[in-house]
Amino acid sequence: MNYSTDPTYSKEEWDKMPKAFIDGKPFVMEKGETILNFVRRFKEKGLVPTLCDAPNLEAFGSCRVCSVEVALKENGPTKTMASCHTPLTEGMYIYTSTEAVKKLRKNIIELVLTDHPLDCLTCEVNGNCELQTVAAQVGIRDVRYPKGENHQDCDKDLSHPYMTSDLSKCINCYRCVRACDEVQGQFVLSMAGRGFDAQIVKGDNVSFMESDCVSCGACAQACPTSAISDIYQSKAIVAEKTTRTVCTYCGVGCNLEVSTTSNKILSIQAPYDAEANAGHTCLKGRYAFEFYKHPERLNAPMIKRNGEFEKVSWDEVYDYLAEKLTSIKNTNGPDAIAGISSARCTNEENYLMQKFIRAVVGTNNIDGCARVCHSPTALGMQRTFGTGAATNSIEDIDHTECMMVIGANPTAAHPVTGAKIKQRALKGKTLIVIDPRKTELAILADYHIALRPGTNVAVLNMMLRFIIEEGLVDENFVTNRTEGFETFKENLLKLDVDEMARIAKVDKDLVRKAAIAYAKSSAAMSFHGLGVTEHSQGTFTVMQIADLAMITGNIGRKGVGVNPLRGQNNVQGAADMGVQPHQGAGYLDITKPDVIKKYEEFYGVAMPGEIGYKIPEMFEAAIEGKLKAMWIIGEDVVQTDPNTKKVIKALNSLDLLVVQELFMTETAKHADVILPGASFLEKSGTFTNGERRVQRVQAAVDPIEGTKPDGQIIVDMMNKMGYAQPDYDAATMLQEIAQIVPFFAGAKWEELGDNGKQWPILPDGTDTKILHGETFRRGLGKFYYFDFKESAEITSHGKEYPYIITTNRDLEHYNCGAMTRRTKNVEIHTEDVLWINPKDAEAKGIVNGDLVCVESPRGKVDIKAFVTDGVNEGVLSTTFHFPEIMVNNITSDIHDSEAKCPEYKVVSVNIRKARKTHLRKEGEVVS
Amino acid sequence: MSKNLSNLSGRKGLQHNLYELLGNSAEANEGTPHPKDLKRLAEDFLMGRANTFGAASFYDFLKPENKGKKVYYCNGSSCMTAGTQKKVLEKLKTNFKEEEIGHMCCLGRCHENSSFHYDGKNYSGASINQIAEIKEQKTLLLDTYNVKSSGPQILTGNDLTLEEVKTSLNEILKKGREKVLEEIKSSGLRGRGGAGFPIGFKLESAKNTPSDSRFIVCNADEGDPGAYSDRYLMEFQPNKLLLGMLIAGFVVGAEWGVLYIRYEYPESLAIINKTIETLEKERLIGERILDSDFTYFFKTIKARGAYICGEETSLLSSIEGQRAEVRVRPPYPTQEGLFNKPTVVNNVETLACLPFVISKGGEAYKAIGRGKSTGTKLISLDGFFNNPGIYEVEMGTPLIEVINNLGGGLKEPIKAMHIGGPLGGLVPKEKWTDLTVDFESFSENGFLLGHASVVCIPMDFPLVKYVQHLFQFTSDESCGKCFPCRLGSKRGAEMFEKAQAGNYAIDEELLTDLLTTLETGSLCALGGGLPLPIKNALQYFRTEFEPYFSKKHLAV
Repeated sequence: MNYSTDPTYSKEEWDKMPKAFIDGKPFVMEKGETILNFVRRFKEKGLVPTLCDAPNLEAFGSCRVCSVEVALKENGPTKTMASCHTPLTEGMYIYTSTEAVKKLRKNIIELVLTDHPLDCLTCEVNGNCELQTVAAQVGIRDVRYPKGENHQDCDKDLSHPYMTSDLSKCINCYRCVRACDEVQGQFVLSMAGRGFDAQIVKGDNVSFMESDCVSCGACAQACPTSAISDIYQSKAIVAEKTTRTVCTYCGVGCNLEVSTTSNKILSIQAPYDAEANAGHTCLKGRYAFEFYKHPERLNAPMIKRNGEFEKVSWDEVYDYLAEKLTSIKNTNGPDAIAGISSARCTNEENYLMQKFIRAVVGTNNIDGCARVCHSPTALGMQRTFGTGAATNSIEDIDHTECMMVIGANPTAAHPVTGAKIKQRALKGKTLIVIDPRKTELAILADYHIALRPGTNVAVLNMMLRFIIEEGLVDENFVTNRTEGFETFKENLLKLDVDEMARIAKVDKDLVRKAAIAYAKSSAAMSFHGLGVTEHSQGTFTVMQIADLAMITGNIGRKGVGVNPLRGQNNVQGAADMGVQPHQGAGYLDITKPDVIKKYEEFYGVAMPGEIGYKIPEMFEAAIEGKLKAMWIIGEDVVQTDPNTKKVIKALNSLDLLVVQELFMTETAKHADVILPGASFLEKSGTFTNGERRVQRVQAAVDPIEGTKPDGQIIVDMMNKMGYAQPDYDAATMLQEIAQIVPFFAGAKWEELGDNGKQWPILPDGTDTKILHGETFRRGLGKFYYFDFKESAEITSHGKEYPYIITTNRDLEHYNCGAMTRRTKNVEIHTEDVLWINPKDAEAKGIVNGDLVCVESPRGKVDIKAFVTDGVNEGVLSTTFHFPEIMVNNITSDIHDSEAKCPEYKVVSVNIRKARKTHLRKEGEVVS
Repeated sequence: MSKNLSNLSGRKGLQHNLYELLGNSAEANEGTPHPKDLKRLAEDFLMGRANTFGAASFYDFLKPENKGKKVYYCNGSSCMTAGTQKKVLEKLKTNFKEEEIGHMCCLGRCHENSSFHYDGKNYSGASINQIAEIKEQKTLLLDTYNVKSSGPQILTGNDLTLEEVKTSLNEILKKGREKVLEEIKSSGLRGRGGAGFPIGFKLESAKNTPSDSRFIVCNADEGDPGAYSDRYLMEFQPNKLLLGMLIAGFVVGAEWGVLYIRYEYPESLAIINKTIETLEKERLIGERILDSDFTYFFKTIKARGAYICGEETSLLSSIEGQRAEVRVRPPYPTQEGLFNKPTVVNNVETLACLPFVISKGGEAYKAIGRGKSTGTKLISLDGFFNNPGIYEVEMGTPLIEVINNLGGGLKEPIKAMHIGGPLGGLVPKEKWTDLTVDFESFSENGFLLGHASVVCIPMDFPLVKYVQHLFQFTSDESCGKCFPCRLGSKRGAEMFEKAQAGNYAIDEELLTDLLTTLETGSLCALGGGLPLPIKNALQYFRTEFEPYFSKKHLAV
């Protein structure tokens, strides 16, 4: 190619560009690229074959089949070099296919085949095996070596619910070892032995199941043969089609490639070109999909009559619902009806649900699970910056110098982002973790501040004070970009740092060092999770994190910012779409007349102007008799909202509870009407991940018989209740949304492409990777100071209930576990356990595995003890994935003072060895 | 090669060294780390259990098979061609159980052979006759060999006194880093480990790579069977070596000098450790040396048996407690070396030359030698010579002078000398007069000066057997990372084994393909260098091989 054939360049430009030559022809080179990269940019993939190379791994140089001949001048003497790790230099002449290199490649493959079973036709990867492909490319005819020692008698490892290995197929390319190291950072795999004897081992030579494998499947995806694979035989080529979609689990928003045949899902892989996950995903995304065809899937609408659920037709259920809702609306007014939409559903479905509640029912009683997770984030960041969303992108982790993770355990809850943070820390970048628990990242951190749960405000004030004290304030940023600093500073200077350290039970010096490390870093990025928000001072804490970013100038550029790790796959999107009682689609204030007018014009009906109930207020109102009907989509409030007894009481107080679900959850059991929805694999739309990336969800299979996409159910009900809404279709719905949500103005289904777009999406379609570059959304960033205030939970109950339990999540299960417990994940992680410090355990005579009775002022639960120094004395922790435990029986109904997010993270309890010896049986209804 | 593991290992610093801890556990547990220790160390270093397990399994004197080994005979090339292994092994068998006997590849006692290792000490020559006494700790027998120079004495003669070390340190401190570097660059000193890369470039590159810390690493893993010149330097010239490392550290701004000393040289390790102690006592190393702002510490690492660690990137991985697998370059160690920090790795002999360069000047050093091969070179002569020992000769000295004048001629007729280690060339008698001792002369004649060890191959030693030995050695020592070396060395060894057993005729075209594949395809000099002596053998001693070749190719 030259300037005359490459229209990218004019002759002048072409002449100036640095070039190198591929088989005699010049091409423009990029700085720092390898020969292989250069050749791949211009030539077909097979021209230079590879085996040990993989898109998401560093150059390794083991297979040598990528060798090429290189001369430093035309027709000059050549040298054979491995192209994957040899840097290209200007004027290099690369010869990709000389007789010598062709022979070399063939001879290497011949050697490989001396230790490989030649059973291609019966091998699971037949047709999709890189060794097979390369062998064909280099033209192997036969193996000339006499039969020698080999590794063909290896046993298969079928120990694990997902991962499998057959090392007789292994070619020692180390791709699995490197994937486990460079992608997941788990170090489960290595070679053992030396030279010809070297073989892959898991852990200290154990099986997958016995190893510390986190089942992310990166090794299986990386393996060029079938040496490491999975039970779904992901690399087999039997699929009829593959569908690119977005994972339904967490807010990372992994792109998935779903292989299907005859409307059945065979396996899931992670596409390498995905910006959100770059070829990686976790066991939930990759393997936990079989729930979709689980026999317990709800497959018909049901109405509870005489205490029993009765299957009915869609027409019947719609008629029943329309009649009931209309009657309640007529009798008690629209505000007697409320909806909880689902962050597991698409933007389009969430948009429809809030539209149904607002425009069809006529109330702002719409809320979503953001209430119980990141509502303080949205509110706090709106107050300080003007936008309640992550300021930066996941890819920024690759550019940051310092990471501060507060109240988040991303390696479990956001595994791909967690792995990325881990990788960055493993590169020697500073990692600060503020968390009561010794999380995987805390163990790796340079500074782990293991504070007492509930004292975030105290610790962050200490950090802010130290930064001022040390003269590390970014004066320039503070002066030009912010307001309110002087008052803020005055307050901080009055802070009694020693008192704060005592309250938080932290080492003052450690906090000072962490503050200095954060402030001195050239680019510091913060990540926070529910350990920040689910507190009585949750919103304030979010604002302090924003203060930290502003005071150090860590806003508006690459590798910095405030980055909430959004919990559910589309919790960002649900709020964006107006699933909040105080803001409509696009975060517009529904109390403002101009906004009301705008919505009225758009929806063509009168709009309510009063702020509706937040979720906890819905329960209060139901108990008080003010709320008569609730429609809950994809949210198990009984299992996951705090103070279970109160939630159940509220639900039982209703005249009508509609639950739209995949499974008979704890909440569904209390429903009057059940609507069977469809899973993410069965419908289309968009999800917005934690970095504001709006991505296409595309149905891989049809909804199972008897179910409907949730959006269609809402549309049906809208029409049934007299509001004309066209049938659910992702593209047309997005069109409607783009007209009303300002930051979706340029969002078009067909233009979202494989990787989606990060909002704000401007009318011309340009998207936004980093927010607040030049100015904040609200103009100047605003500093707010807050005093630490002990939670009422501690002040009221701390004496009587001296332990603090904090709840969290496991890698293997998602939220209430309705989906993951119906996959093989349950074979890997079988139950919720109670983390308890060895000293506390000893004091109470508790040993590992004992059932412990955990009692709070609300109630008590029995949980199996796991004695660990992962929590400090006086602190307990557990998960809430299993209905056998129902840990929310003990959580309080104290909420964040601003956003009403429940304080899951600080619960006063007492513990003793349980009298019972067995747990509540599955299926037993809590009444 | 895992940068993540390098980082995790580096977090603990050199004073809490994973490789050393693995070794300590092996010593406390009959030769292999206890599984509990492997688990504990993995946790301690935040690594996976696979990493410590995989690392331990890599090294001869850490791997599980080493458990219970009490005595080791030398199975190196020199003891093999000298024919002493059989007797040593027989004698050992009368005193030890078969499972207690292991082997070590070259104890550096090639001047008298019959070498074996017992309880952390080496023995050779007639010592085997006293094995019973040795076993009862009744006797310790030291070896002696000739040391002589035919010209300038840079590396032989007396070692530096502490006073001389101090003077030299004062001088470099006065001169400053830049001038010292210029001096070294002007000397033209090239690496003595085999590759001949100018040390000045390495020092400059490491010095100029931005970093918060840097390292000097001395490659004292003299693994070439037949070579013992580094052993000589460590045991008899330790001050020169350590001062050389100080000078290098001063130039690049390193705070640590690490000596990676092979397990097979226990005496060397002991002497170096003792010398470091003395220098510490004299405050010639440590914090703020001679009240300057130059701070420098030493760390010795006891290697655990892997020839590949002579390759610098493997050596670095080994210090980190990883499997010693060869890394790709770039990044070069001077950019990202030990614990991912800029590191200069040089051979013992190279570093030991630096004090001379500083005291006499780079130009004075450059005036010695010939052309691009400046200075002197140590040569190790084995027991076939009348005067076996270590000889320092000026670069450019005719090889025949070394053989006849210094070595005093040969005890018995030989057919070839294998010079420069297992990857060096096999020099037939007729080429001896063509060669001078320098990098250029050897490479122009199709050989390799390498580390300048000499192993003689007597007339009655079949070269087919020798070639099989070379393939086998490479197969045993291959790190296993690159395909050509891991598989090719094994298949080569099998071909020659089967051919000698009489049930296979070597396909010569296949052998040629194999050698080309190894030579052009291997990642490092182990696989890449193996074909040289084999091709020499095939070229100069073809008739010895023909009976083993398949008939169809003989016509070609």
